[in-house]
Amino acid sequence: MSRDGRRKRDRDDNGWASRGGYMAAKVSKLDEQFKMDAPREKQKDGACSSIFTGVAIYVNGYTDPTADELRRLMMLHGGQFHMYYSRSKTTHIIATNLPNSKIQELRDQKVVRPEWITDSIKAGRLLSYLQYQLYAKQKGLSFPSLLPIPSLNNLIPGLNNPAPSLGKPLSSHHTPTSSHSHLHIDNLLPQPNQYNPLAGHLNPQPSHSLPLPSHLNPQSRHPRQSDSPPEKPFPLDNPNSSNSPVRLNGSHHNAFTPNPSPLETNSLSAIPSNPAPPDSDHQSALAKTGGIISEFYSHSRLHHISTWRSEFSEYVNTLQSRRRATGAATFPGRDRLKRQRREVCLSPDVSVCCSGSSAAPGPQSCILHVDMDCFFVSVGIRHRPDLKGKPVAVTSNRGSGRVAQRPGVDRQLELQYYQRKSSHAGVSERKDGDLEEMTSAESHVSHGNGVDPDTTCLSMAEIASCSYEARQAGVRNGMFFGQAKQLCPSLQSVPYDFQAYKEVALAMYETLASYTHNIEALSCDEALVDGSALLVELGATPEELASAIRTDVRERTGCTASVGMGSNILLARMATRKAKPDGQYLLRSEEVDDFIRDHTVTSLPGVGRSMGAKLASLGVRSCGDLQQVSLQQLQKEFGPRTGQTLFRFCRGLDDRPVRSEKERKSVSAEMNYNIRFTQVDEAELFLTNLSMEVQKRLQGAGLRGRRLTLKVMVRKVGAPVEPSKYGGHGICDSLARSVTLAQSTDSGQLIASEVIKLFHAMRLEVQDLRGVGLQVQLLDGAHSAPHDPSGPKTRSIRDMLLAQRPPAQHNHTGVCVCEKSSSASVPPPFSTLRPPSPADPIPGTSKEEPLPTTRTPNHVRTRLNLSIEVPSPSQVDRSVLDALPAELREQVERSWTHRDTERSHNGSHHRPSSPHPSSLLSSPSSPPPPAALPVGTLVLQIPNQPGQPGSTGIILELPDFSQVHTQTFSLMPIPPLHTHIFHVSVSVCLNPLLQLKQVGAGRVKRRYKKKNANSSPTKKGPSPLKRPHPPGNRPVKVLQHPLRPRDLSNGLKLENGPSTSSLKQDVPETLSKFTPRPEPTLAGACDFTDIRTLLREWVTTISEPMEEDILQVVKYCTDLIEDKDLEKLDLVIKYMKRLMQQSVESVWSMAFDFILDNVQVVVQQTYGSTLKIT
Amino acid sequence: MTTLTRQDLNFGQVVADILCEFLEVAIHLILYVREVYPSGIFQKRKKYNVPVQMSCHPELNQYIHDTLHCVKPLIEKNDAEKVVVVIMDKEHHPVERFVFEISQPPLLSIRHPRPTPIRIPSDTLLSHVEQLLRAVILKISVCDAVLENNPPGCTFTVLVHTREAATRNMEKVQVIKDFPWIVADEQEVHMQEPRLIPLKTMTSDIVKMQLYVEERAQKAS
Repeated sequence: MSRDGRRKRDRDDNGWASRGGYMAAKVSKLDEQFKMDAPREKQKDGACSSIFTGVAIYVNGYTDPTADELRRLMMLHGGQFHMYYSRSKTTHIIATNLPNSKIQELRDQKVVRPEWITDSIKAGRLLSYLQYQLYAKQKGLSFPSLLPIPSLNNLIPGLNNPAPSLGKPLSSHHTPTSSHSHLHIDNLLPQPNQYNPLAGHLNPQPSHSLPLPSHLNPQSRHPRQSDSPPEKPFPLDNPNSSNSPVRLNGSHHNAFTPNPSPLETNSLSAIPSNPAPPDSDHQSALAKTGGIISEFYSHSRLHHISTWRSEFSEYVNTLQSRRRATGAATFPGRDRLKRQRREVCLSPDVSVCCSGSSAAPGPQSCILHVDMDCFFVSVGIRHRPDLKGKPVAVTSNRGSGRVAQRPGVDRQLELQYYQRKSSHAGVSERKDGDLEEMTSAESHVSHGNGVDPDTTCLSMAEIASCSYEARQAGVRNGMFFGQAKQLCPSLQSVPYDFQAYKEVALAMYETLASYTHNIEALSCDEALVDGSALLVELGATPEELASAIRTDVRERTGCTASVGMGSNILLARMATRKAKPDGQYLLRSEEVDDFIRDHTVTSLPGVGRSMGAKLASLGVRSCGDLQQVSLQQLQKEFGPRTGQTLFRFCRGLDDRPVRSEKERKSVSAEMNYNIRFTQVDEAELFLTNLSMEVQKRLQGAGLRGRRLTLKVMVRKVGAPVEPSKYGGHGICDSLARSVTLAQSTDSGQLIASEVIKLFHAMRLEVQDLRGVGLQVQLLDGAHSAPHDPSGPKTRSIRDMLLAQRPPAQHNHTGVCVCEKSSSASVPPPFSTLRPPSPADPIPGTSKEEPLPTTRTPNHVRTRLNLSIEVPSPSQVDRSVLDALPAELREQVERSWTHRDTERSHNGSHHRPSSPHPSSLLSSPSSPPPPAALPVGTLVLQIPNQPGQPGSTGIILELPDFSQVHTQTFSLMPIPPLHTHIFHVSVSVCLNPLLQLKQVGAGRVKRRYKKKNANSSPTKKGPSPLKRPHPPGNRPVKVLQHPLRPRDLSNGLKLENGPSTSSLKQDVPETLSKFTPRPEPTLAGACDFTDIRTLLREWVTTISEPMEEDILQVVKYCTDLIEDKDLEKLDLVIKYMKRLMQQSVESVWSMAFDFILDNVQVVVQQTYGSTLKIT
Repeated sequence: MTTLTRQDLNFGQVVADILCEFLEVAIHLILYVREVYPSGIFQKRKKYNVPVQMSCHPELNQYIHDTLHCVKPLIEKNDAEKVVVVIMDKEHHPVERFVFEISQPPLLSIRHPRPTPIRIPSDTLLSHVEQLLRAVILKISVCDAVLENNPPGCTFTVLVHTREAATRNMEKVQVIKDFPWIVADEQEVHMQEPRLIPLKTMTSDIVKMQLYVEERAQKAS
């Protein structure tokens, strides 16, 4: 048997055979869910029937319509849908495409195309499945003469376990003389190995996963491989790439290998109604497995719950925006409360206590934290009064909480591991007792002979929520059901009911929204309400509001909610703890100190087990203890931000506002269930698919991100290969790697390529992967999406700049930062030169958070593609200049004086220096997005590395400088207050075409000449730096291809042709930035002696350097910096200095100063210091 | 012929071993060349076939040794970005920084989706690396020519700039007991008006390293 075959069998052994109780329970649970959903579906969709009575389908792989749709259809029309294939119960398998191994497994089953269902529904009756059979059809079409075979085949599927002897008479009947007959026989044979002895003349080799050349010969082909044509739904040109050996949901799909033999093409072309259009094989592979990931997400309960939060945030957002649109909103709840109060106040007997308490709230803010009481449980039993007051847990397990043990599982070891881990961490007082329970169970076991079947076989289904009665018995959320059942034998389990959760949650949010719109959705069952304004308006006490809300919620949902109130979010949340269950508690500001002192630190939000352990090691257990710790110590221990937060929290201080409109910080997709790869390709494909899922989500949210984080869980060395939870990840090490992209993206392909790179850089064993997660951060709106260059989400450069946190201690003149974009439209040349918009604040001034002090320039990893120029004096803030090192300042000033003299000659072309910086900014609402900016211009890009935990211990997500734009800039006058901060200035857009043209004529002195679009005389002959390029390929030519330079700006990389004429050559290189950086070159030369020769030639043969060439040299130098070859840079600079300063022409020494300035700026950014030039 | 692949677990170890050995030599030599300690405590030794100076002060040696022992796991995991030898004046303000910027070359490009194992005959690889390291050592020994003299009474410390979340692991795992890493003070990291003097860049198949010195503009203060 081949290795593949053996693996398959092994899998069968520990898969189907022993899934035992767990699978059985799961399957029955799914059936139940299906039955419960069916009436609901029928209600929703009028058209229902019972045509599929008695039919139970199982969908295998990707189908059209999707498995979900088929499930719905089966619900509507009386059929059954099995999530898991069962030989005895499933009557039909629905598939459009089955891998080889599956076909082997299922050859005696009715495998039907999904059209059978849709057509049956159309026809209103159950059609015969015969003509929809996946194999039979092929057979019938390819070999119409062989009638007995389809008919025989039709007989067989009725039998679930066909007699093994069946193959014998058949195969002897059809003498295998041609490959045609192989096909038949093989399809009919229940077991391939039974066939082998008969087909002795055939190649007895096991199936290969690679198509060998010999297989091209139909005669020598192995029968099993001749299976491939019928299962193939569409012609694939390249079988290799269409194979997708990703193993999801526990099954390893073997690569099936269709052989491009004439026979197969025949049979394929004979299919009259090809269900799927001929697609590119790559796409089809993606669609297939991508669908599986989507499917995983559509079934994962955690995913459901987690998406609800964003859904409800979205809901609150829409409420807000609707209110803004209409101007005013109606608050029925608020009105009702108002009325009630009026009535109450009118009745004299109550007014006394009313006025007494209304003195309490005062003008201070009041936050309400509304939290449903054990949400899942109370929703689950709201229509089951018999369960009220009993210990109830919501879990997926149905039975007694026991399952058969699977082989290869070492629960012992895992228990020991977690135990050791927790004891090592020194957490002695743990609030959630489940780990302790585990340990006690563990020690009890260890007395016996090591393994006690009773405890090792406990159900590992987690309890999502349990009632307060159950909690009294020691059951906790997140506990495994089996164990909980031991603690509380009367524990009842209730299945999940996502639909109901959603309904109840929505009702709760609607209730809250009827009072105010200042709601922050925390999750599906809890929300924060800022009641300050509301209370003032109503003149009510917080208690009154809370009880009104609670009554409303109870009436509308039938579930109880608790409300905690406090002057800030922290206190409100802590008050809720006291309020629960079904109560309310107002934490008055005077009580805060006493209240918080006794709380354990772990009850503070953000203090989890590990931080709790760390604090415990400092001797801090309660918030009172924590109050004794100094801010310095906390910050030293936990980093500046976390330390500060802790310091404030333990004093009950919290200044977070209730954010009704939240911006997403990250978009991610993660799967750590059922990840078992065998090959690198599978992992790569999985990553690709995960990237596609992320793409879907990004696009769904209309966002693009720049930072990618790949999180993987790897089996811990020595941990058992199979964890005790089926498909779970077991004991793992979690690793994460991030990368910052040059530009924000929502393209799955781009993400995939980056992530695969990251993945390989981690050097992991794919077999040990247990979880993979992908997160995209640094989000911004999809404003520069190519299809929508002037979309409503457009953000201006200003926004981008405001979003950026400049690293401290940088002083710069003449650095232009602008956003790189991938717009597909050529912007109007002077689009950003618009009248000043008063609303625009000055960039770089409004920063709400303090700079992390430890972030030194050394941490900024810089990548530069091009240079920087010195802006004109009018645009430079004096204070910035003054802050520069004397040497630099001198040079800047020198260049100004020089320029001034030069400029007087062509002053007419000089762009008028703007009176106010904001005139250079496009206002947020203006149509030309930042996309308009650097199109086709030379772009300098400085992604830095955000967050240096190396020095802080916490990760601060700092925004990056994306790109620095050369050529065009203006420096903003910056308030002196901020002079110590890295100054960013905004560049004025300049049409690339103009710029390119100008290059031909330009010299250093003409840098600011913008409008001579039609004059591009080439004054000089080609300089030495341009030698590698054909002389005809001058910039003027580029003009005629306005699209090219823009492409380049997407690709972001000027490889070896800094001369603009080389732009065209680089055009298709959009992916080139993913390739490892080649050595930087100057006009093709990379060896130092060549560079020297080149430079010497340049300086000695040309009297006046051209700007273009200077930029080239600068780019080369910045490339060297980026390539971390400072030694060479030093040599080059020193050589140039010698050459150029000796030159008779003063222009040369000016050029050197210019180059040096730019290089120094880049070095400063990268290393935080400037080169010492002696 | 033995070949090393990136996938090998011990590959990182090999790199770390080589680098740590080199760093030890380099630190001793820097301390000698920059006259942090009196030249009397140094002895002439031979390493990489060139004469180097090595301290024979047991406590100093132990400190350097321990430090590098703790650096090694970071280099192994490619977590160390820079290893910095900081020379500080009496007020503990840095006057000079010898920065060893280490980058291990990335594995693959998108064009080559499968990591092709780097097949290098270890003999030639190692001798090539040794040549490169020797060049760096020689550069260190003559770096006093390009640097200003240090004020008297200098001390030194070793900083490591880590990548990403390496510090969190470092906190968890102390390689040597009672010899933990601490986050560097701002004062130790920040240098006024630093001047950068590149000394040497070496590029080999397994590691890329460049050494540069950052020097405070006004040393005597």
